Amino acid sequence: MRRDISGLILLLVMPAALIIVMALIQDAPFKDYKELKFDLLLADNDHGSLAAQITNGLKHSKNFYVTDSLDGKPITEAQLKQLLNKGDYKIGIVIPSGVTAEMVNAANIVVNDIAKRTGITTTMPTRELRGQMYIHLYFDPVSKPSFRTPIAAALDKYITYSSTNILMERLSMLSKDTTTTTTDKADLSKIMQGIGLKEEPLNDKGDLMLHINSVQHNVPAWAIFGMFFIVVPIAGHLLREREDGSAFRIALIPGATFYVTLGKIVFYTLICTVQFMIMLSIGLWAMPVWGLPALYPGLHPLLLLPVAVCIAFTATAYGLFTGTIFKTITQALPFGSVSVVILSAIGGIWIPVEILPESMQRLAIISPMHWSLDAVNQVILRNGDLSSVLPSLAILFAIGVLLWVASLIISKRQNRPI
Amino acid sequence: MFAIEIKDIRKKYKGAEASALDGFSFLVKQQQIVGLLGPNGAGKTTTISILCGIIQPDSGAAFILGKDCMKQIQQIRYLIGMVPQQIALFGNLTAMENFTYIGRLYGLSTATINTRTRHLLERLGLDNQAHKRINAYSGGMKRRANIIASLLHEPEILILDEPTAGVDVQSRAMILDFLKEYRRQNKTILYTSHLMDEAEQICDEVAIIDEGRFVISGAPKELVKNTVNCKRLEDVFLHYTGRTVRDTTE
Repeated sequence: MRRDISGLILLLVMPAALIIVMALIQDAPFKDYKELKFDLLLADNDHGSLAAQITNGLKHSKNFYVTDSLDGKPITEAQLKQLLNKGDYKIGIVIPSGVTAEMVNAANIVVNDIAKRTGITTTMPTRELRGQMYIHLYFDPVSKPSFRTPIAAALDKYITYSSTNILMERLSMLSKDTTTTTTDKADLSKIMQGIGLKEEPLNDKGDLMLHINSVQHNVPAWAIFGMFFIVVPIAGHLLREREDGSAFRIALIPGATFYVTLGKIVFYTLICTVQFMIMLSIGLWAMPVWGLPALYPGLHPLLLLPVAVCIAFTATAYGLFTGTIFKTITQALPFGSVSVVILSAIGGIWIPVEILPESMQRLAIISPMHWSLDAVNQVILRNGDLSSVLPSLAILFAIGVLLWVASLIISKRQNRPI
Repeated sequence: MFAIEIKDIRKKYKGAEASALDGFSFLVKQQQIVGLLGPNGAGKTTTISILCGIIQPDSGAAFILGKDCMKQIQQIRYLIGMVPQQIALFGNLTAMENFTYIGRLYGLSTATINTRTRHLLERLGLDNQAHKRINAYSGGMKRRANIIASLLHEPEILILDEPTAGVDVQSRAMILDFLKEYRRQNKTILYTSHLMDEAEQICDEVAIIDEGRFVISGAPKELVKNTVNCKRLEDVFLHYTGRTVRDTTE
């Protein structure tokens, strides 16, 4: 080990760099859009109460920085389109002239209808409806649909809220004109908010239940990827030993092959386990330094040790297998690295398996990295105990043993000492 | 009992046009240095690999000190010391680290390893270089270290595959002197070589193998004497194997 300190350091530094970079890059995509704040251009051609409510609502929201004037002058629709086209802003809304009047008219018609049905003689002034009016929403042309949809939904919510407010206001006016109700405007608003939607934790762990975020996904995922990348040095090491003859020497010593192979497995398993623990430590303590949330290790963090050992064993066995089935380094190394990338892609390292196409989800079970990530997620996302990780660990261990036994058989058949 | 007994061994590698060994039979008496000589591709290395249990023959039998090479290979491996053509050592480790590791795998105690290593290092002129990495050794030093690694468990039979190929004159002389001395300890040595003068110099007996078949065997001087128009062992060799160049490919 001390013969190649720089190699050992690289084995730890490269995955560390990988998890930090990947967590930072994927931080925004992993965040709910509700957690982000966007610049929004607003052109108000209406100047009515509905427009004012929408503008104020957006300005006070946690999601938008509203810009409705440039150089002290209100933004025009033409300016708004120009700025979006240039890519200076991502979102713009134009409130057309007359939208408040149209909304008030529609509300009055509804109120009059209610009054008529309930026998109230009071009527609000109305005119004929001019058809549906739209508040225009514009996006920077390069915005992806995955960005547009939640933004449009959030803005629609504000518009609906403002429209409801106007309706409530008109209803309040009706109630003031009669003695049939004591409900004032504030009360009506409260009544309308009486039923809402609130997300609750899945079990009694309460606040300890976490949503997946960039750190919770990327730290274990890329740590596992890094562990499996040990396939490359192991395969290279085995082939070099075969080429320089030292493997032949071991093959000549009675009973040595088994112990030497076992020694390699124990050593590399240990290295990979240490590597995983260092990666987790980075998640726990270094991620906040980069402005990311700290890794949450679950309610049973000690379970991560047997999980890491099991993953490390399987990764090592895969390295032995790769080093055994190929004759030369030039065959083994490209296969080792590319197969790890492919297995990581199907195993949900890059993108969680849940959002992969169904066919790919079915394919995921062949990837040891899928079972590795599943075991880690049981601990750090679902607060799982030993019984919840055992199925994944059993499959991982079985894959590892299978690869080891296959390596021994192939090595004997092909006369290629491990 | 013969040290080595080979009976009608046949071996054909997958995809090869001809058999590597085609009914090869051969006997090696105990406490002798025996040279197995043959042109490229004659079957020398295949014979040695079968004796060490590295490969299995298609048919025939081989025995070392009465033990079956196919059935009792683990016991046989304690009896033989194999010095392969390639330097079968860990290049990143020092010679001493290599010997300690190999000795431990043979189940030797640290004290035994140290005693034997010290003696062998001294005898083969590496005592001042024991703590240098094998990769830093010259070709001759590597060859000598390769021999030491095969002798740590004090085998009864030493099998060497071209042990002096590509080494300097001094290293070669040291290796040959050592082999003669080792034989004097009542050990048997089987070795292959392309160097006829070397075989003539140290072998009690030589056997010529060609195209996987036994050709002739005997004491070098006897062979020279009994073969027409031959003054040296090389003449005998060319007489029986011909002058056609044997190029081999894998």
